[in-house]
Amino acid sequence: MWKTVIRRILIMIPQLFILSLLIFILAKQMPGDPFTGLITPETDPNRIEELRIKAGFYDPWYVQYYNWITNAAQGDFGQSYTHEKPVASIIGDRAEKTFALALFSVILVYLIAIPLGVIAGRYHDTFVDKTIVLYSFISFAIPAFVLYLIFVFVFGYRLMWFPTSGTVDVSLDPGTWEYYWNKFYHLLLPGISYAILGTTGIIQYLRTEIIDAKTMDYVKTARSKGIPMKKVYSRHIFRNSLLPIAAFLGFTITGLLGGSIFIESVFAYPGMGKLFIDSILSRDYSVITALVMLYGFLALLGSLLSDIILSIVDPRIRID
Amino acid sequence: MKKKYWLLLSTVFAIMLVLAACTEKETGSEKPTDKEPEKTEEGAKDEGGTTAEQPTLASEVTNEGDALAGGTLKYALVTSSPFKGVFNWELYQDKYDSEIMKFTTNVLFDTGEDFLVTDKGIAKLDVDVDNNKATVTIQHDVKWSDGTPLTADDLIYPYEIIGHPDYTGIRYDDDFQNIVGVVEYNAGKADTISGIKKIDDKSIEITFKKVSPAIYSIGDGLWGYAAPKHQLKDIPVADLITSDAVRKSPVTLGAFKFDKLVDGESVQFVANEHHWRGKPKLDKVVVQVVPPASIGEGLRTGQYDMASSYPTNQYDGVKDLTNLTVLARPELAYSYVGFKLGKYDTNQKINITDEKAKMNDVKLREAIAYAMDIEQVTEKFYQGLRSRATGLIPPVFASFYDSTLEGYNYDPEKAKAILDEAGYKDVDGDGIREDKEGKKFSINLASMEGSDTDEAIIEYYRQNWKEVGLDVQLSTGRLIEFQSFYEKVEMDDKEIDMFMAAWGTGTNPSPAGLYGKGATFNFSRFVTDELTALLNDIDSKEAMDPAYRGKAFRAWEDYMFAQATTVPMYFRLEIIPVNKRVKHLNIDWMNETKWHEVELVAENPVK
Repeated sequence: MWKTVIRRILIMIPQLFILSLLIFILAKQMPGDPFTGLITPETDPNRIEELRIKAGFYDPWYVQYYNWITNAAQGDFGQSYTHEKPVASIIGDRAEKTFALALFSVILVYLIAIPLGVIAGRYHDTFVDKTIVLYSFISFAIPAFVLYLIFVFVFGYRLMWFPTSGTVDVSLDPGTWEYYWNKFYHLLLPGISYAILGTTGIIQYLRTEIIDAKTMDYVKTARSKGIPMKKVYSRHIFRNSLLPIAAFLGFTITGLLGGSIFIESVFAYPGMGKLFIDSILSRDYSVITALVMLYGFLALLGSLLSDIILSIVDPRIRID
Repeated sequence: MKKKYWLLLSTVFAIMLVLAACTEKETGSEKPTDKEPEKTEEGAKDEGGTTAEQPTLASEVTNEGDALAGGTLKYALVTSSPFKGVFNWELYQDKYDSEIMKFTTNVLFDTGEDFLVTDKGIAKLDVDVDNNKATVTIQHDVKWSDGTPLTADDLIYPYEIIGHPDYTGIRYDDDFQNIVGVVEYNAGKADTISGIKKIDDKSIEITFKKVSPAIYSIGDGLWGYAAPKHQLKDIPVADLITSDAVRKSPVTLGAFKFDKLVDGESVQFVANEHHWRGKPKLDKVVVQVVPPASIGEGLRTGQYDMASSYPTNQYDGVKDLTNLTVLARPELAYSYVGFKLGKYDTNQKINITDEKAKMNDVKLREAIAYAMDIEQVTEKFYQGLRSRATGLIPPVFASFYDSTLEGYNYDPEKAKAILDEAGYKDVDGDGIREDKEGKKFSINLASMEGSDTDEAIIEYYRQNWKEVGLDVQLSTGRLIEFQSFYEKVEMDDKEIDMFMAAWGTGTNPSPAGLYGKGATFNFSRFVTDELTALLNDIDSKEAMDPAYRGKAFRAWEDYMFAQATTVPMYFRLEIIPVNKRVKHLNIDWMNETKWHEVELVAENPVK
């Protein structure tokens, strides 16, 4: 198996190289550049031209690409044009915030979805099951930003149970217990909102798997051996039904850094999603390319992780 | 049982539809402000605005009650993106950073009528026109927020930052190079800027290559801010922008000073006890980023005392609230329709007007202008927060704005008559006019995408033009994204015959950079010797006299009106809602309340 893993990792190198070439060319093809947005009657067009020349925008694309890729290979993704600080430091800062929020949300999603999926499957066609299915349909159908806005209005502004904006209160000193509690407090509302909408897939998969499993031979065998129903569910069915969910776990883990543009916009939570969109709108090439490379790498890594996890939980699957 | 479920289901769906419909509006209106942040080149139609003619909104409010000792003002910075956090006047580029810095400002000069320098600020400006010299003198006993006295060195240091070879900002420009010796300093040939001399601890003398009226608007290369040399001198200029002295704990001169900061989200200021105008009455100011989608709710529920530039297309959300007052003031901007009449020659760096350009017929342009029912649009779509612009100088420049100008009043009959006279006749009887040779005639209009009302407004104008027989199509077939729009307009794209855009004028209304012969921002590419002479007159030495300059502006505006190459569309109004616990606030450009004077009358914002 490890042979395969190493081979897959090695294949990533040319894959990422092709991705880098594509994204670099596409990014440069976008109309405008980071300095277009600076135009006012008070800014001097000659100075803007000068800055474009200094930034190397008039060099041939392969020269620009060579400069960029050689630096990137050494871990230097350059300076952001709009933030005017190293790309790594901006992404690092945002990644930390996004990761905290995403991890919290994903844990909540599993905490909500797994019991609901199991219950729905076990008692399927009862009132409980139908309620759960209805909930998962609604959460699937409702546009994310609609629910987020309703939540921020109701629980943030009207009931004032939660803060409505940012990641932490500015008046607190970093390092204190209160500071970390306040950070967590800021995660609650966006995290819960996200989790409520994110459960559909897991509930549906789990429910279907369990319903299918009930008629399987191994369940009948277990029952006929006299194993109590409760134990059949917790030992036999549950583990098997988790397989499709385990298949996605790798993507879920690497997806934690993806960020959500809706959550971040509504709750003014500065994360990766917003950074990505803002960079595209302001043509902040260095940030765009670095982010796409990061996402590309994470996607490849996610698929590898998923395969590994699957081979661990399902002994029938072997990768070699 | 089954039936009941259906009832439940359909009720749920009905509710969802209603909710979706409600919130649609909210998120839709988020868009315009979404792109506002970095864009100082203003979106043509994404926000409301109006002139002084709009009597309903005041620029000043006084609330009853006894002032508290101290207190914290909660200030909402309305933007959908985190702020950048470059807190230095020489280096910042994002307008939200400057919004934040207004609490700590290092500004040297006070300005009065027409944004001209007065002698009431930290420093006094004396201009020696004949010798192209200016003297800047610190008038008061001024201290930085860390207690260090402000000296002449702090006035010189900003020039040395901007002129430095490692400086990568936008302010090392043609204007700045007007200072004698700056170019040599920038090339590394000199250790100091020869045109800047320290006279004594309190004053400096600057020598310029030329002096124009712009110097009183802090132009011509004169710099309006001090920089704390004692804090910055040991940091290499190339590293300034990432240093803590710029990002976290800048030393400042304003009413408040930086206390705590959450990057991109919020700033806490505390009173600056060394402030030269006196200790501020408030203890603290907290600035928090609030997305445009929820700022209305934030103000209604009293989470914030005031908002920076409230999104005007959400005016309905606050106009009837009883816990706040909506203040308004004119924006320093105008929206316009421009016509493409030529090309920018990148080799010679001049605009060249093409005699044979499709739109190079003054009659045609006039007809297009007279056919537009702008008043209807300002009333119906902008709720009066914009008004029809009558000229190219916003009314806020009292000495230069001419209220007697009429502009192009909506008159479709006149438009038709002009077109008939010019030879654009409907030959084939389909209701659309053909060109002078009788061939099919269609005009391509480029317009920027912004809020959801933009499309409707453009359709309305197209209808207007159709009524007089002109076929106007959208370039590319739809509204264009901001960056693409300006690239196309700047590159003189063939697909564009006319375009709708806007200019922020800044505090110096000189039009040379927008209509001059060598100006790349002269997007119409319209140049004549007469126009050049008129523009030169506005910035001439004689125009140091405001009355003379006012006349020069009028002459230029009359000429532009007659040529109809740029049709003014709207003047805009900026609105700032203020909670009723703020004792007094005036946002009028000429009499703005100073931050150290702001007081509160209640512990918490009024709900």
